[in-house]
Amino acid sequence: MKLEIKNISKQYDKNKFGLQNFSMTIENGILGLLGPNGAGKSTLMKIIATISNPTSGQILLDGIDITKKPNQIRKILGYLPQDFGVYPNLNAYEFLEYIAAMKGIGGTNLKDRISQLLEGVNLTDAAKKPIGTYSGGMKQRIGIAQVLLNDPKVLIFDEPTVGLDPEERVRFRNLISDLANDCIVILSSHIVSDIETIADKVAIMQNGKLISQGYQQDIIDAVKNKVFELEIDKNALNEFKTNHLILNTVRKKENILVRFVGEVRPVNATLCNATLEDAYLFHTKK
Amino acid sequence: MGLYKNIIKADYLQRTRSYIFLITLLGSVYVAYSFIPSYDSHYITVRVNNFVGKNNLAWIGHVTAIMASAFLWLIGFYLVNNSIKRDRETGVGQIIATTSVSNFEYLLAKALSNFCVLLTITFVIILIALGIFIFRGESGNFNFIQFLMPYLLVTVPSVFLVSVLAIVFEIIFGNKTNLLNVAFFCLFGVIIAKTNVGNYSGLVYIDPLGIKYLANQMVEAVNTISPSSTNDFSAGYLFSKNQKKLYFDFQGSDWSVFFILSRIIWIGIGFCLLFIASRMFNRFDSKTIVLSKKKNFHLIVSEIKTEAKEIQLSKLSKATPQFGIFPIVKAEFLMLIRKGPEWFWLINFGGMIALVLLPINKAYQIVLPVLWFLQINRWADLSTKEKFFGTSNFIYSSFKPLHRLLTSQILAGFLLAIFLAFPILIRELIAGNLISTLAIIVGSLFLVSFAIFSGIISGGKRLFEILFFAVTYAIINAVPFVDYFGGFHQDFQYLILLIVVLLLVLIASFLLRNREIKNQ
Repeated sequence: MKLEIKNISKQYDKNKFGLQNFSMTIENGILGLLGPNGAGKSTLMKIIATISNPTSGQILLDGIDITKKPNQIRKILGYLPQDFGVYPNLNAYEFLEYIAAMKGIGGTNLKDRISQLLEGVNLTDAAKKPIGTYSGGMKQRIGIAQVLLNDPKVLIFDEPTVGLDPEERVRFRNLISDLANDCIVILSSHIVSDIETIADKVAIMQNGKLISQGYQQDIIDAVKNKVFELEIDKNALNEFKTNHLILNTVRKKENILVRFVGEVRPVNATLCNATLEDAYLFHTKK
Repeated sequence: MGLYKNIIKADYLQRTRSYIFLITLLGSVYVAYSFIPSYDSHYITVRVNNFVGKNNLAWIGHVTAIMASAFLWLIGFYLVNNSIKRDRETGVGQIIATTSVSNFEYLLAKALSNFCVLLTITFVIILIALGIFIFRGESGNFNFIQFLMPYLLVTVPSVFLVSVLAIVFEIIFGNKTNLLNVAFFCLFGVIIAKTNVGNYSGLVYIDPLGIKYLANQMVEAVNTISPSSTNDFSAGYLFSKNQKKLYFDFQGSDWSVFFILSRIIWIGIGFCLLFIASRMFNRFDSKTIVLSKKKNFHLIVSEIKTEAKEIQLSKLSKATPQFGIFPIVKAEFLMLIRKGPEWFWLINFGGMIALVLLPINKAYQIVLPVLWFLQINRWADLSTKEKFFGTSNFIYSSFKPLHRLLTSQILAGFLLAIFLAFPILIRELIAGNLISTLAIIVGSLFLVSFAIFSGIISGGKRLFEILFFAVTYAIINAVPFVDYFGGFHQDFQYLILLIVVLLLVLIASFLLRNREIKNQ
């Protein structure tokens, strides 16, 4: 399965773009989308999920333009939006039945499938209670369950781990890894470690544009042998900032431990192993 | 003062920048314009027996002030009765709750903001009334005092009271919007009920709208030129080509000290009501709400931590494609009937029994529209709940969402309407009134389609609430113009007209929703 995004733009007014001439090709596996707030990640995901129309450009799913024929992807789509709600008067079981019907899923197996999904997200005990009584994390798990109602082949997760506790986050990562075998999974997150753990490829976005993409290691290689740590006096931090691209700071008793990117290793600085977070900050801050 | 100013300003701007305000303003302009018919019109509005005032400034001021006072009670309440609810839903309320603003200050600021919104509409009505006087070239005394005084002493206090009541009702009823709507409908019905205004009686002073005093003054004026005249005052659209009209020169009212005092007292009552409400206000503390309920609906379900499981993709039962809409209709219907407190269904069943037991005409013309009106909250957000509850991203990324969902919503709403109307439907059928039977079915469908259409064009449920309230009130007062279910027109031609209007509303709803989905 191949998803080709060709010169997609989303323009809100004369000077405001959500996306600008965005192009990339996505194949089976997990693509992690990284970018600061307003980078255009959610806009891109909404356009792929067919709930927002691009101002220009094409998105081809195995050669079919889904901006013109949205129902082609909707049959095989699983989408978990960043902000979503539920109908508080329905219970989890009824809500999933409703979403299944909207997705065009039914038949005698549906009840079993919903029960299995609810069990898998650990909501069996609460399944018959109105969703209006659920906590944020429980609602997020309902959202994850609805994604899998229809055997999706294209999965879009926009900030999926928000509201999940650490154990649930691990279980979610395992689920994504299982799904990625024969599906396209697009995942955005502010938590770089989530992407680092599970994504095969990474795309970094800023101001509606794609600024870097590739396998994780290729992205990290951009800052290989350029990430250092140095302990400096607290008062010297401002001057240090003007001369270096700082990635992180840790306050110590008297000094500050600074992690930064530089072409040349300063005296007393320690060379560090570069991480995806270093590469991401390097790309978005430079 | 700065605190009040900022809360009022923010609230005022938020409200006046909404479509619903614009629509209400346009509606007010139309009603104000049409409430002063020209001499050759085939209808009259305010009259005493067959006497109608000449369109001088005093008469125009009195008539439009009466109209504004009643209209802004009827419509204005529904326009502004969500200010606390909105703060609760947006989370702004919790921020306000942590500030030093007192309950009374907060509620007063909210009431004053409501007041400013309704005063804006009043101001526009005044301009329209003046414009009509100037541009229609009406003659008569240019008595500006008698033009303005009805507004100052009748409309302004009346609008202040309804602004306060909107807040008080929100505090009393909280999330039970269905009860809130019905309670205000009943209150308005009681207040506006006709009383004998012919003689000076205490009733003219205990009228919060202040209309009865003006009516009384008009009756007095007619009595001076026609002592034998009865005291039959009426305000509302009366259509008749053969209506006998006698014009008289109305010079204005005598503004008694008692009346002025009564209006000041009503404003004082408004402040007292706000003060009492401030003692009941929970300051957005949801726990207070939960503890006061027998059924802990909003209490968060506590999870029993058992051994955590994971989704086993390979073991999931197979998903079978099925594109029918029955499950969607079922879920939409469930959501409709589960809205509001369960005991409210006792009232609904009581209404259905009344449809069986009362004389067929009364049941059809009064009980049925009132029974439907009681469901206002169920239908009002039929087409906007995806937006309100934040499920639109799920829904609109699903298979053929427009045709499948909108059709299901219409069918679910229609099923509820027809279920409630079932007793009268059967009675009309047994009585052999085929036209009426069909008109009830068409009316049910029209009602639901109109709720959907209003939701789509306004983006919320308020427009439908306002219009449905006004229409139901007009129907109870036997205004034939708004007869959407054939209660007053049992003829084939009218049925065809209803069907045509229904089709237009349905087509417009589908087209507008389609455009909305495409332009996201």
